[in-house]
Amino acid sequence: MRSKLIVVIFTTVLIMAGLLIAIVLADYVPNGAGFPHPEFNGMQAGGDGAARLEHIGDLAFTFQCLLLLLIVCLATLGVAEQRRSPELWAYMGGTLLFSLFVWYQMYSGHQAFLETGTTNYFMGFPVATAWQVYGTWLGAIPLIILYTVGFRKFIFTEEDERKYEQLLADIAARSEQ
Amino acid sequence: MEAYRQEIIVGAVVIYMIFCVITGLWAMRRTKNSSDFFIAGRGLGPIVVSLALFSSTLSGFGFVGGPGLVYSIGVSSFWMIVISSTGYALGFFLVAKRIRMIADVRNCISLPDVVAARYNSEAVRFLIAVTIVLGVMGYLATQILAMAVVMQAILSGIEMFANIGLITCVVISSAVLIFYCVTGGIIASVYTDVVQGAIMMIAGTLILLTAMSVFDGGMQEATSIILADDGEAMMPFGAAGIMASLGWFFVFGLGLAGQPHLVTKMMMNKKISDNRSILPMSLFGYVMAALLWVSIGVIMRAAVIDGVISPLSLPDDAASVFLSVFTNPLLAGIVFAGLFAAIMSTSDAFLNIGTAAIIHDIPKAIRGHSIKNELFWARVVTVILAIVAASFALYSHFQDATLVAILGAFGWGTFAASIFPVLAIGLNWKGATALGAISAIVSALLINFIGQLAGIVLPYGILGGLIAFVVSLILFIGVSLVTKKPELDDDMEAVLNI
Repeated sequence: MRSKLIVVIFTTVLIMAGLLIAIVLADYVPNGAGFPHPEFNGMQAGGDGAARLEHIGDLAFTFQCLLLLLIVCLATLGVAEQRRSPELWAYMGGTLLFSLFVWYQMYSGHQAFLETGTTNYFMGFPVATAWQVYGTWLGAIPLIILYTVGFRKFIFTEEDERKYEQLLADIAARSEQ
Repeated sequence: MEAYRQEIIVGAVVIYMIFCVITGLWAMRRTKNSSDFFIAGRGLGPIVVSLALFSSTLSGFGFVGGPGLVYSIGVSSFWMIVISSTGYALGFFLVAKRIRMIADVRNCISLPDVVAARYNSEAVRFLIAVTIVLGVMGYLATQILAMAVVMQAILSGIEMFANIGLITCVVISSAVLIFYCVTGGIIASVYTDVVQGAIMMIAGTLILLTAMSVFDGGMQEATSIILADDGEAMMPFGAAGIMASLGWFFVFGLGLAGQPHLVTKMMMNKKISDNRSILPMSLFGYVMAALLWVSIGVIMRAAVIDGVISPLSLPDDAASVFLSVFTNPLLAGIVFAGLFAAIMSTSDAFLNIGTAAIIHDIPKAIRGHSIKNELFWARVVTVILAIVAASFALYSHFQDATLVAILGAFGWGTFAASIFPVLAIGLNWKGATALGAISAIVSALLINFIGQLAGIVLPYGILGGLIAFVVSLILFIGVSLVTKKPELDDDMEAVLNI
């Protein structure tokens, strides 16, 4: 039987490809990827942020949601099939929700700035950017905790190690014959 | 002390280079065969592997190009850094365990060895080896050129070397690099990486502290100056916009597990269980070193907008101007040594995998066996490869930048698109086929190559590398799903079951 996880990954990537096509075909916005700063040579400026997101904002938001789903699915693929317990799925689900929450806070914080032109600051950065700098970086910490703390439970158990050592011993014995 | 600024900087760099030469001589005595030369005999401890892994990730681009990018496009370039935690996590989940097991089971000494074993296909080995050689040429040429330009800049500040030429600087910097790579192979490379990594972490931390003291209001004052000038530049998607930012998130995040110079290091640790400590240590080191990227870029953009300093001639001058204006000479010396460390730690890794591809993998794919006396030829080819890359770099600088630019396209994005599906997914999905792997590699190479040659620019800043990556993922999984499920050798079946 085919792994359902690889089908989920494949479907996710296909939808992301469809979103990319939709973005390429969306109405053109001048300076959608920035323009030379009017005063300082070598600097780029972003200009009107609301206009840049007008035609592609929702598509881009969805694209990133799918990318976060893809990341969690790929990390789960890296756990051997027999170790993908309900506990692991629940943990991975929580990781995905955490990542999506960070992404939503960042995106909605940016939208709020575009509407009001004002922002609060957190640890040196505007709030939306702070979600990007600190939140995105921390978004993967649950995966790192799972790998380090759960190494012997999900990644490479004592049983896995015994099987692996047996495999090496079998190979060594065959090569001696 | 200020009067001797240039001498202190040059002194720090010279001490660092002498250290590299001594390490090369020390490692030469420990390099007895090609396995030692290419993968350090799979006997390295977790701290060494961690530092080697992160210092190879952050090249000269991180120390020079990174701050320049923040100066140029604002927060957009942060996406390349903040994704590092996800990138490292995926690399370890998908690659670290099984690449180490296959290396052990099949006695692999290179990444193409591993994929050839996984797919039982010499065609896949050949394509991965060719991708590596093309990428290595582009990367090495740019790294050597960067090293020479920086060396010329710091030496020309001393009266005795005021008129030193770029060619001389290429020769000096390449000679040091070649010496320790030839004598000590990967053992010299990883042990210099340890010191290189430590220097980079110290430099990153000290620069952050310095940067925060430039404005009375610290980082918040700097970011508010940028925000007042152009709100988008300081918002999460920066001047380059949302799709460029998310494209970098995709390519740099997932792509880390497809970088040959990094995943090869995952074959070198002594014990598989060390991976649980290597992951957090590598990530910690990377984050500390990357502080330099963010802090210099933000402060320099704000300082220019605020009129504290004059506009830069080039964005890439951001780091060097920051060091000369805002830091004391000792810190500048440490950071310049850190810059050489960043460039050399990446260059030596590329030199090593490029040599392995040329003397081990391509002959094996074509003739069925590698060449005799691999250790001798490894040393010869290392010299030749570095000289050819240095020649490319000089040709690019003085005559025509196109060649290196095209080879440069075979950088991170192409490695990510062509290697990630084949390696990271292929090691975790038994249904992956050789035909799927070949389709993914060929499509990634073609899309990147044609995109670069034709100069195709997509709307909203969508990266060509992102398109190549998505297409290669679709082809890899799609073709594998519709082709006959492969019969794996018993040992591969066992490895993929663990």
